[in-house]
Amino acid sequence: MSLIVAGRIVPLTNDRKVAQSENASFQGRVWIGDDGRIAAVTRGAGVAATVAHSVRSAEFDNAPVVDVGNDLVVPGFIDLHSHLAYATLPLWIEPNRTVPFQHHDIWPTRPTYAESITWPAYAFIEAAPAELLAYAEIRALVGGTTSIQGSPPSNRPLDGWLVRNIEDETLDGEIGRHQVLASTLTLKPEQLGERAISMRQGATFIYHCAEGRPGSIVQREYRAAHTAGCLQRRLVAIHTNAIDPASYNTWSDPGAIVWSPFSNLWLYGTTTDVPSALAREISLCIGSDWGPSGTRNVLGELKVASLISEAKGWGLSPFDLVKMITANPGDVLAEAWQRQAGRLQPGALGDVVVIASPTEGASRSDPFKTILRATETDVRLVIVNGKPLYGTEQLMQQASSVQTSRISVNGETRRLALTRFVGNDEAWSYKDVLKRLEEVRNDPQAAIESARRLAFAAIRTGAPAPLRLALDMPTGRVPVGGLPKDLSKIIVPPIQPLVHDEAFFASIPGRGFHEGLLDGLGEFYG
Amino acid sequence: MDNQHAASLLQAQTGQLLSDFLLGESPHDEQRGREREREKGKGRRPDFRIPRARVLDGGERLQIIDTLIAVIGGVYCHLPQKRAAYALDPVQALQLLRAQVAALSEGEFHLALTSIISGLRDAHTRYSGPGAKQGAVAALPFLVEQYGPYDAPTFVVSKVSAPELIKDARFKSGVILESWNSIPFARAVDLHADRETGGRPDARRARALESLTFRALECGPPPDEMAVNIVYRASPRGTLRETRIPWRVVQPERAQTNHQPGSRASRYIAADPAAEAVRRTKKLMFSGEVWEADRGGVAIARDEKWVKWIRTRFQDALAVRIVKNSSPGELGYLRIWSFDVEDDDAFIAEIMRLLDILPDSGLILDLRGNPGGLIWAAERLLQLFTPNPIKPARFSLLASPMTRAMASSPFNRMEFEAWLPSLEAAIATGEPYSQSLPLTDPAWCNDIGQKYSGPVVCVVDPNTYSSGDLFVAGFADNEIGLVVCVGEATGAGGANVWTHFDLREALRSTSFELNALPPDVGYTLAIRRALRSGAADGLPIEDLGVPGIAYEMTLDDLLHENRDLIAFCAGLLSGIPQTAMKVQIEERTMSIATRGLDELETYMNGRPFEAVRGISDGTLQLPRPDAEIVEFVGRRNGEICQRRRLVLNAG
Repeated sequence: MSLIVAGRIVPLTNDRKVAQSENASFQGRVWIGDDGRIAAVTRGAGVAATVAHSVRSAEFDNAPVVDVGNDLVVPGFIDLHSHLAYATLPLWIEPNRTVPFQHHDIWPTRPTYAESITWPAYAFIEAAPAELLAYAEIRALVGGTTSIQGSPPSNRPLDGWLVRNIEDETLDGEIGRHQVLASTLTLKPEQLGERAISMRQGATFIYHCAEGRPGSIVQREYRAAHTAGCLQRRLVAIHTNAIDPASYNTWSDPGAIVWSPFSNLWLYGTTTDVPSALAREISLCIGSDWGPSGTRNVLGELKVASLISEAKGWGLSPFDLVKMITANPGDVLAEAWQRQAGRLQPGALGDVVVIASPTEGASRSDPFKTILRATETDVRLVIVNGKPLYGTEQLMQQASSVQTSRISVNGETRRLALTRFVGNDEAWSYKDVLKRLEEVRNDPQAAIESARRLAFAAIRTGAPAPLRLALDMPTGRVPVGGLPKDLSKIIVPPIQPLVHDEAFFASIPGRGFHEGLLDGLGEFYG
Repeated sequence: MDNQHAASLLQAQTGQLLSDFLLGESPHDEQRGREREREKGKGRRPDFRIPRARVLDGGERLQIIDTLIAVIGGVYCHLPQKRAAYALDPVQALQLLRAQVAALSEGEFHLALTSIISGLRDAHTRYSGPGAKQGAVAALPFLVEQYGPYDAPTFVVSKVSAPELIKDARFKSGVILESWNSIPFARAVDLHADRETGGRPDARRARALESLTFRALECGPPPDEMAVNIVYRASPRGTLRETRIPWRVVQPERAQTNHQPGSRASRYIAADPAAEAVRRTKKLMFSGEVWEADRGGVAIARDEKWVKWIRTRFQDALAVRIVKNSSPGELGYLRIWSFDVEDDDAFIAEIMRLLDILPDSGLILDLRGNPGGLIWAAERLLQLFTPNPIKPARFSLLASPMTRAMASSPFNRMEFEAWLPSLEAAIATGEPYSQSLPLTDPAWCNDIGQKYSGPVVCVVDPNTYSSGDLFVAGFADNEIGLVVCVGEATGAGGANVWTHFDLREALRSTSFELNALPPDVGYTLAIRRALRSGAADGLPIEDLGVPGIAYEMTLDDLLHENRDLIAFCAGLLSGIPQTAMKVQIEERTMSIATRGLDELETYMNGRPFEAVRGISDGTLQLPRPDAEIVEFVGRRNGEICQRRRLVLNAG
């Protein structure tokens, strides 16, 4: 179904036919065709404005028009670093720890790690995998995210459901699977060598690399990547906060770095040297990381990036930062997908988010400042592949969205176009998703045992295998077999709200190793 | 038992004649199905007739062979050992069978396949033919046991089932068997032993003796004959008599407390599935009341002619009584029939309850014929009998591309991640196996601590298998007590066993993905190889077993509830210095009654509570401390003899 979105367009485009500069904005329309791609971006708000390519004009004859007035029409946000399997979990600290962790191999060895993180996450992936995915993806949508990295390994493709799962995306079969490879765990030299070959053959590789304090031993992971031939244009290195910034010079044809400042500061007290990376012309993207040491969505992480930039005097403008969740990761994905993402221009993916403008002086305000300051409440509409998935009742109605259910976000009503993961288009409400997750949380032992029996019964009867997910983070210090003897000892913490809330902000001061740098996050949320 | 239950039990014991089962009308037809439904509706027991086996086509046979080639070559943990021990190559044998598969008759195919698998002499690793045989056991309504020296045994009928099943009224418990289908009985056993699993000749004979009258059809071929001709005597010099007894096919079913397929516990099983089915069949045939109670989940105390048993809800796995003996007086006798339980916590809690009832002057743990079960149940049980920490057995995987793929699959991280580094290192080190790691975490093996004060002796035989082996190995290696062995050693089954379904699930999304097998065809496979701890550290259990003090069964043992065996064990126990400790916690005080100890140490939350206290026999009163865990350690001449750990403020 084609769709037209009219409003203040912030295209972040490098197509000069659309706008003369990347930071331009104008009243206009985004035309998304039946194929889920942007057919045109046009100026002018009037009804007479039509798609320039007349050959496609018939496609839009009956297209719904969503008029958002002065609200911003922005490329859908891209979160290049996440771990969906751990999305429900709250921020974690190791009790009584007084010094930051040296690197990523330390915190998984702490005594409370497995019971706080591995086992609760396991309860959900084992007993309610579809609900867990739904929760994590809805949370992404609520924050305006249309593509997210960090899907748990799965026994079936996850693409084409809600947000784009970056590792699994096939663009409706246009591209092969595994165009984007990823690894959370540190790879061996031969595995890195294989990735180097894959990248030369066109794949993009998103790799957790050198995550830790500067000078710590994990900086050798970057050297290993270099030795293996992985420092290519298609490498997306997550973190790299442990390395000597001079090492960026060895990345002669640089790719991208994903910056997750909240997580870095929470665990290590330091973060990626962004100015050095930028000086080396490495593209910077922002990722929200995971529940135990991250923000709820990339819109929240954007604010953390701004806080850090300001505190360190890095001088990153709102435009620079917004690019880190739109155009920059969009360009990274364009390499892999052969389709532009993160920019609103002809041929690009029809992934759009509508952000509320300030009521006063909307046309004159800096749209990038508006995006930077936007909260979940300001996310009015989210469109993926031309399909409206989430938004206000009014906009979802205008977009002729079907199979929607009500969802409350910060006390405001939104509509969600969620369907069951398995089966056809049966609507599925967030309420039902949450209900099942709560069931698992209330009795993880029964839920895990029951899920295992069902999986076994399926394999025994020859029925299709149920959806199965796997954890992608270190499991920590666990007994052989990975689980406690008594499964009833698994305590699943309360499922976190979809949005950044007061409790989240209250859990930041005095915890983690950010030395107060993150305390100001709550101020963005008024 | 009321008349209705008695009739129902007799029906179950009667089952179906083997001749009908193999050659008779198939009950698949619609009319029979409707009749059975009607019978169910009337509250009558459903028909025990078993559907006849379906015939596999050539493609299905290839599916089976290819799967077995893959898993035996790729994950079968005993492959190097079996190649060495028996100079055989099962993978090549399967390849050869593959080449002939279309030319073989159905019978020839199954026989050839089961011969290859049983040639491994591994009761864990079994091929299970098409559906008709699932759960079925061919049975004769009597039990044969042997007594006397190994090289000149006497074979007697020790138990008979319902009199309705044996027409010859003279054929009863105590008769001596002379020939079997016109073959001298000892020779018949030896001939049959050739077909049996078991690494040692005595283990094969023990299993042959059992399978002479009971065959689990899920795991092997049916008997060749429809009935057996037996020549016997009522006494050593009695008249020779001949009788003919037909084989029957029965469905022993599983007990409610047995492990459930697909449960978490089912991945930690070490058991001989055929022996477990036979064990259940023996219960059906000779302890029908208990078998009936298992089905209803009712705890009963079975009183027999000479003995009184204590009521237990784990009656499928346990039998407990107090035995009176002249030397140490009363002793506890705990028969552990099986470790096949779903809930090891409940199982161990029940044993703790029973131990509390038994005298603390000594305990006989009888594990003869125990075919194994849940590894956690066996290894965690050990702690109840010793003041010292238990070191469990460790398990390793065959180092192969298939096990590496399985261990590195993201879906198996919880199950196999611990083995992965050593499996990958094996490429460089050339090690045939991964690192060995416990399946029962050492912390779980020591989470309760000692509960029984007195000395313990453990009785085993070559049919003590798998988790039974593991228990006995732990018993010996952790120096808990003496092992008495009827035969040379335990049955020597040292592995964790998985089914095709477990493997198929674990190999999904790897390059070794397994296809489905034809309906109801399956196999079990030894996947993780057990190695002993303590003084026998690193020694495999497979094919070697655990030896003990030799004991030869007597006729009195067979006919009078192990009378001589118990006296022998009592003699061993009476020679062991005895100590005891009993702790009672009151609201404000703790009383510690001790015997045979000279020092007492008290710990609160793991820290010393007071200086070491010199003690003599008697009861000591101490104030109840404000602690979560209190522990008492009793020494005699410096050696730790008793230890009790109590959780005071749980939660």
